[in-house]
Amino acid sequence: MKIPHEMLNILYGNYFGYVCTSDRSDQPHITPVFFVYEEPLQKIFFITNDRSKKVKNILENPKVSITVDIRDTKNPFNNEGILAQGTAQITEKGPIYFLSEETLGLYRDIYMEFKGKYQAVIENRPMGENDVIVQIKIEKMVYWKGPHFKSIKLG
Amino acid sequence: MHNDEKKEMKWIYEIIVGSIPPFSLLPYRYSILLQLLLLLVIGLILGFIFDLKPISLIYGSLGILVAVSWSLLILQLGPTLRKFRAPLSKDENELLERYRGILFHRNHYEAVPGILIFITFMSYLFYLSPQLLDFWLGKYPDIVLLLFVSLLIWDICYRMGLGIWTSILALWRSIKLKKLAENRSELEHTPYTELNYLRKLDINNVFFGMISLLLIPIIQQDRVLVAIILVFFIFIILTSFASAYIVSKVPWLPPDIYNLVMESSFAYIGNALHGTTHVTPVVYIFDGQRIFFNTSKESKKLKILRKNSKVAFLIDTRDMSNIYENKAVLFTGEAKIYGLSDIPLRFFQMLGARSLFLKKYPEYTKKYATSDLPKAWQLTPIISRILVEIKPVRIIYWRGAKQISVPV
Repeated sequence: MKIPHEMLNILYGNYFGYVCTSDRSDQPHITPVFFVYEEPLQKIFFITNDRSKKVKNILENPKVSITVDIRDTKNPFNNEGILAQGTAQITEKGPIYFLSEETLGLYRDIYMEFKGKYQAVIENRPMGENDVIVQIKIEKMVYWKGPHFKSIKLG
Repeated sequence: MHNDEKKEMKWIYEIIVGSIPPFSLLPYRYSILLQLLLLLVIGLILGFIFDLKPISLIYGSLGILVAVSWSLLILQLGPTLRKFRAPLSKDENELLERYRGILFHRNHYEAVPGILIFITFMSYLFYLSPQLLDFWLGKYPDIVLLLFVSLLIWDICYRMGLGIWTSILALWRSIKLKKLAENRSELEHTPYTELNYLRKLDINNVFFGMISLLLIPIIQQDRVLVAIILVFFIFIILTSFASAYIVSKVPWLPPDIYNLVMESSFAYIGNALHGTTHVTPVVYIFDGQRIFFNTSKESKKLKILRKNSKVAFLIDTRDMSNIYENKAVLFTGEAKIYGLSDIPLRFFQMLGARSLFLKKYPEYTKKYATSDLPKAWQLTPIISRILVEIKPVRIIYWRGAKQISVPV
């Protein structure tokens, strides 16, 4: 299914998302992340440390959700955002020099895209040894603007 | 505090009694119970031997009951303060060490008020008001009986003294702590659990004060003594309430997080059910002690929360021009949903939360109130907007890329 353009606008136009993972006991956990969105794959990518709580949670339970939103303190009707729910996959947990050629390629692409997008932010930050790529295959997405909601199911 | 001192944390009388068998063989608390049970049995036996009036036995037993209840309340101080974690502020830590140090001082100052009360009362009893003794034991009581009653009086006077000693110290500690808390910087604080312990101990002392009223029937004949008990009662209750109140006003969040939570406008709430997670932005308020958000009663998150109250609640500042200075705090814990059934008991709290929402988000409130929204979104407070409180168990704080775990 094609993703409607208002959802795509949010996914392309924003840096920042809030990823929610949970452990076996359904205890949720949220962290802010930088992400990039890949339209042909309908996937969201972010880079994180392999010792982080979210990686630990994803290994226990790969179902995750991410919210990306534009917020307006004055007018709630300008609040706009998406909630994407899907399954996360960690690409090769482990030091970067052990990664397969294919993953390393993916890693570089994503990292370059990050770099292009957030030049000012990550300029001085090299790819870390403990970094892993997390990809979220979007399965369901909710979009809202003010009080109006729209939701879609993918694949 | 050194380890050996920390292990002790007992008062002189408890140490002495605790070193005599069979009391020494029992855990601390049971030894106190056994000691007072023995008093009760001896008292009753003596009563029968010396043919005391039933009313005398009742008075004696009442006195013993007061002493037992007082012991059980006040003896929670030691164990509670022993498991106390050190505050993450040098000054506050020093204060609490000092408080513990004085409370359980090597020189046992705690016995002083009790001894003074005992001496004063015994002099009063034997020289100024002998009719009270007649009233309890009849004319010319046996010396054994007198000794026993003196022991009982000592038990009560000693604990009365402890009550005064602990409640004055508690009030002093709370006032100081509140003052120190105003000058904290960055991540300095005393964790919530510890503040809660202090408050509970103060509330114990309020009960301690109330129990003193049970002594009134015993000394009812003597107006001066009745007045003194009432003064004691009022004194303990007021100091303990004041202390508990002041502790409840000490922020349990360090200033960095306190300010972030106070100043930020949005939060993200995450929940999970059967492995599926859900995260959405919400508006929230913070009254300095508690965090509330509100949501439509039709919302998905509320439906999930009713089935699993575990939450993650993230508050952050988002400054795109300077991302590495961004701050975020994540609370994980439980959510408490306020419903109609909470109105009788928590009416003022709910009203207070509502007025904070009005103050923090005036435009929101106006917009919600004036438009033709879907029914669930309309601002009919309490009924269709549901108030939810976040009760954190763990706190994670990010400053830039640095992650810090903050004890609750």
